[in-house]
Parts: sequence; C-alpha cells; structure tokens
Amino acid sequence: MKQDNLEIRISCFLRFGVLLSGTLIFLGWIFKFRPTGNPYFNFQIYDRIPFSDLIFFYWDKKDWAMMISYAGLISLISLPLVRVIVLSILFFRQREYNLAMISFLVILLLFLSMSMGLLL
Amino acid sequence: MYHLILLLVSVFAGLLGSLLGLGGGIIIVPMLTLGLNVDIRYAIAASLISIIATSSGAAASFLKDHLTNIRVAVLLELGTVTGAIVGFFVSIHIKSSLLFQLFGFFLLFSSIMMFRKKEDHPSNHGHPWSSALQLNSSFPGPDGKSIPYLVANVPFGILSMIFAGAFSGILGIGSGIFKVMAMDGAMKLPLKVSSATSNFMIGVTASASAGAYLLRGDIRPEIASPVAIGVIIGSWFGSRIMLKMSADKLRKLFVLVLTIVSIQMILKGVRS
Repeated sequence: MKQDNLEIRISCFLRFGVLLSGTLIFLGWIFKFRPTGNPYFNFQIYDRIPFSDLIFFYWDKKDWAMMISYAGLISLISLPLVRVIVLSILFFRQREYNLAMISFLVILLLFLSMSMGLLL
Repeated sequence: MYHLILLLVSVFAGLLGSLLGLGGGIIIVPMLTLGLNVDIRYAIAASLISIIATSSGAAASFLKDHLTNIRVAVLLELGTVTGAIVGFFVSIHIKSSLLFQLFGFFLLFSSIMMFRKKEDHPSNHGHPWSSALQLNSSFPGPDGKSIPYLVANVPFGILSMIFAGAFSGILGIGSGIFKVMAMDGAMKLPLKVSSATSNFMIGVTASASAGAYLLRGDIRPEIASPVAIGVIIGSWFGSRIMLKMSADKLRKLFVLVLTIVSIQMILKGVRS
C-alpha cells in the first residue's frame, strides 16, 4: 500500500470518528440541557467517584442522556487508540514488521495507562 | 446559562487553537478553574477531551496535505505514552495548589515560546535508526515541489517525548510546544512537518491520560460535553478561516492574555 493511500485512509477514519463521537456527545448534552442553575456548583470540590459506580448509577436511574454522553466521550477517547491499532495492522500487512511491533507496543502502553485509572 | 458560557469559550478555544496551532487546554483549564470555580482535576480531565477533539480534526487535514510523518509519529508515541503514564501517576499524588502553580509557569513558558523566531534547521546527516525505519521523507514546498529531509537524533527525540507526555498527563495539555521543539530543534524536521506530526501525536498522548482519568471518574459529561462540542465547532471554523486571516496580530494579543492568566494561576496556587 502506498503512503498516500495510508494517509487518506487514516484521515477519513479520524474525520468520521470525530463526527460520530461529536454527534453522540451533542445528543446527550441537548437531552440533559437545563437553561437555569449552576451545573458546575457540585464540581467545585473534588470528589472521586469511580467510573463504574457512575455508570451503574445512571443505568439504574435510566438516565439515557448521560449514557449517550458517556458513549460519545468513550468513542472520542478511543479514537486515537483505534487509529494506532489500524496503523499497526496496515504496517503488518505492508510487512514493515519493525513499525508494526512499535505500534503494538504503543497499544500495550495505552492499555496499561488506561488500566491505571482503575487501579490507582 | 453557565453551560452556554462554557460552550462559547470552548468554541473560542477551538477557533484560536486551530488558528495558532495550539491545543485548547491552555484556554479551557483557566476558564474552568478561574472562571467557573471548577476543581482543577475535573478541569484537566475535560481539557484532555478537548485536545483529542482538536488533534483528531486537525490531524485529518494535515494528513491530506502530506505534511505528517506517520513513521516518526508512531516511533515517538512510544515516548509520549510512557510519559503520559508517569504524568498521570504524578498528578494524582500532588496537591491542587501545586498543579495551579505548574500550570501557571507552563503558560508563561508558552507565551515566551510564541515569540520564538520560526525557521527550519535542516540536517545533512540522518540517524542510523532513521534509515532502518525509513523515517527520512519529503514534504510539499510552496511551489508544489517535493522537499526531502533527514531525521537526526532519534533517541534524544524519544527521550524528549517522555518529558512532553508527562507534562500532558499532569496538566491536561497537549504539550505541542515541547514536541515541536524536540522535532524541529533536535531531530531537525522541517517546522511544518514538526507541527503536523506533533498534532497527529497529541491525540494519542491525551488519550493515554484521558482513558485513565475517565476510569477514575474524573471526566464528567456535565463539564466535558460542552467543552468537546465547542472545541469541535471552533476548530472546524478555524480551519476554514485560517487562510484568510493573519495570525500574527492575533498571536501578540493572545500572548498578552496568556501572560495575565498565567500570573493569576500562579497566584491562585500560592494562595490556596
């Protein structure tokens, strides 16, 4: 595969990813939108609530707006990770094993980094 | 009302970010902490979301212009992601007051760096790793002709990226300034290629920390959603008016604002 082709594929993937996650975040935000009050008052003091607890809380409350927002945020955060995975596969198919291995190492490091959020 | 203020500031951050080649973090974090009194940990987490949004959008354009060196980016991402892990670890163990001071000093440094004279420093000799990994490449010049360049000091570049990644994880910024400095100054990449490649990498660095912050519960949709929407809209407009605007006057005005905000951040850190 030529370099041009690789660049265009990754470019299209990124554009589509931003559009998809942006739409989900927008929908979640619009459904939850309240014009009055200060929604940031509760965030003036840091209070750590793990992601799993937040998700279970909103799931129990059937708060679909928050669930859609989280889906959008997760897809946005995953976008660079998926981009590295795609690159790793493309390098492997081009038989550029050194760069494929480096991309694979980056993927492992990304997973390690994300798992730290659960452990610490 | 507060939602709309944050949305408008985020549109402005995305617009300015794409016009001046910055991530939105240096606008979003001060706005959330100084303007809306949000705790700096939530602000940093939301800022990382804005960086992924800006980086992914801008990277798509730069890729089409053939300015990004994907091979260099993949190699240096090893350093930035390692740094982001260190940065996340450090950030949860230091006090908010120290985060404010660090952020303030980073803003001061950024404003000084924005006055730096920008010119290419091409290298006559590449690094052995550049040949092995085919990192040496070319980019389109003003007349459309392809200009070749060599990539030097690869190990130093990777080490610098660990430092840049750590700053990104601690402060919720893209660290584009450090990345461009290392690629342009040490690795001798052309400035346009350095900026485009840095933009391509910023998303991965931010994603490494953002994933950890999300699972820790620090990324809250109430804050991150208007920030993400605003930054996406702003950077979309920015990329369209970029060619019609002179960024020089805007840069000077922005440096003044950045200096004032940096002093406010340092003072808030010292007082709290």
